Amino acid sequence: MLARAVPLVLLVAAGAYLILALRLPFGAAARPGAGFYPVIVAAFALVVALAATASAFRGAPGAEIPAAELDVAARRRVTISVVALLAFCLALPWVGYPAAAFVFVAVVLRYLGARWTTALLTGAASSAGSYGLFAVLLDVPLPRGPW
Amino acid sequence: MGPLEGLAYGFSIALLPSNLFACFVGVLVGTIVGVLPGIGPVGAMALLLPSTFAMHPATALIMLAGIYYGAMYGGSTTSILVNVPGEAGSVVTLLDGYQMTRKGRAGAALTISAVGSFVAGTVGVVGIMLAAGWLADVAIQFGPPEYFAITLGGILLLSRLSGGSILNAFVMVALGLALGTVGMDSISALRRFTFGSVQLAQGVDLVPVIMGVYGVAEVLLLAEEGIAKTQIAGVKLRELLPTPEEWRRSSMPIARGSVVGFLTGLVPGPAAVLSTFISYTVEKKMSRTPEKFGTGMIEGVAGPEAANNGATAGAMVPLLSLGIPFSPATAILLGALVVHGLQPGPLLISQRPEVFWGFVASMYIGNLMLLILNLPLVGVFVTVLRMPQHVLATLVLLLCLVGAFSLSNSFLDLWVLVLFGVFGYALRKLRVDPSPMVVALVLGPMMEKTLRQALFLTRGSVVDLVARPLSATILVLAAAALLGPPIVRLLRGRRLAKPISHASNP
Repeated sequence: MLARAVPLVLLVAAGAYLILALRLPFGAAARPGAGFYPVIVAAFALVVALAATASAFRGAPGAEIPAAELDVAARRRVTISVVALLAFCLALPWVGYPAAAFVFVAVVLRYLGARWTTALLTGAASSAGSYGLFAVLLDVPLPRGPW
Repeated sequence: MGPLEGLAYGFSIALLPSNLFACFVGVLVGTIVGVLPGIGPVGAMALLLPSTFAMHPATALIMLAGIYYGAMYGGSTTSILVNVPGEAGSVVTLLDGYQMTRKGRAGAALTISAVGSFVAGTVGVVGIMLAAGWLADVAIQFGPPEYFAITLGGILLLSRLSGGSILNAFVMVALGLALGTVGMDSISALRRFTFGSVQLAQGVDLVPVIMGVYGVAEVLLLAEEGIAKTQIAGVKLRELLPTPEEWRRSSMPIARGSVVGFLTGLVPGPAAVLSTFISYTVEKKMSRTPEKFGTGMIEGVAGPEAANNGATAGAMVPLLSLGIPFSPATAILLGALVVHGLQPGPLLISQRPEVFWGFVASMYIGNLMLLILNLPLVGVFVTVLRMPQHVLATLVLLLCLVGAFSLSNSFLDLWVLVLFGVFGYALRKLRVDPSPMVVALVLGPMMEKTLRQALFLTRGSVVDLVARPLSATILVLAAAALLGPPIVRLLRGRRLAKPISHASNP
């Protein structure tokens, strides 16, 4: 299932990229325009995607993707980490770095198996420490948030 | 400036307190990330790249390169003591290294691998001095057609060598090339594939991509395990001394490994990893007792450990003399130089001698520091392994987030980081190597620029473009490397297939 879906996605993506590339000024071989090289790349991508699709549907050896089985707990740990990363990016402009970093570290640590106290303490320490290092010492304009 | 004169000048630069300190920080961080499984030198280099923006370019290069070769020292420690590779260049080391630990010879394995790395590092630096200067002299005559051929050939070779199926590698290349076209066209200033985003007009920045694929993705793999306890073998200081017999058996493998490693480093591809496999195979072939490999043969530690260090040195040659990075690690070094307005290439050595020679001299110093750091202090680094993995994983994620933001204070870079982190994790699960994508992302814009300039010069004639003696040679070599092995396999397969088909159809 996955082994066939991936090449199909690639094929669609390569096609879309080609359509966008064709809209750019192509120029001529002696005076290549902005679209010249993207069209070549798109053609290459299409050929590769077609080859991948063909090999997946023929069931050529090696086309089957070795899906390593994960247990439920491991899958949950990875999912939580990814969700936390996305939430951090979404929340950063609104709540500011210190708050976002604190919640991020505490939640991820807790779900990776730390005790609540450890998670909260590490969250506070790492949020304050990294803010001090980057925003105060290195002058990175990390958003402070509404407080 | 001759090599000796240059080196003397280089030492006067590298021995400046700020550069010595940068070198120390680099090799220290390198050793630590090398020791820690899951976090590799490339991710660490990407993480520390923003902190080098305020430094002198030579200082930045010295520190970042220190991480790269320092990791090769640290990686072997984990391989030998824990039976887990600290980083990819040390996978081979655990075959015999851990067996030596089980036999109580861990100390000898550690010492031989550190000394081997040191010898190879030193040989490699001599190699850089000679090869980079020579190549730069040749490369001054290169025009856009030659550079186009080198970038194209490099990408093709890399796809061949990156391991896994070539189709997968090509998918990665196509993705990298396409990503490289996002943003403002360097010649006509037209915006391409930006969908109206102002931030995207700058293009997709390499660093958050690398941090995602090599930093976040690795941490997500660590997160799978949650809290894991590692079993670590202890080493006493007086056990570190190899016996005279062990020294004797290691000397030739170290010498061969140094040369093999340096030469592998010159070729596009995952040089550090590849060189260890080549060296191991060579040592096994040369040995009178090949059947004993894998049971704790010191040769199997000495050769590959020298090779991966030689390879990191070799990989600097195309970067410094052509300005072309053939691996993610050297792509970051290129990024560090470009940020400072330096264009690495054949003119770098003559125009910015303080950067080139200072860097070369710093590698001598760095290797010496690493020898001291990794032998008497090996116990200190082993305690790093006792740090709880989940805490480490979380803190590295936070550092990646801050690091990506601080590159250009842009929220877009954060999203790129997370997106490519998840993507890189998926790739690892599918056993696809992301490095062709990363290298294609760097080389793509160079390839486009040189292609368009070259076509302009040849008035659109593709024949003139590829028929120039140098570009033709480069392309033929790349094609031979690309198509050679499958053709040989096909021919061999036919010869082998006959008896097999006879046997299966009696």
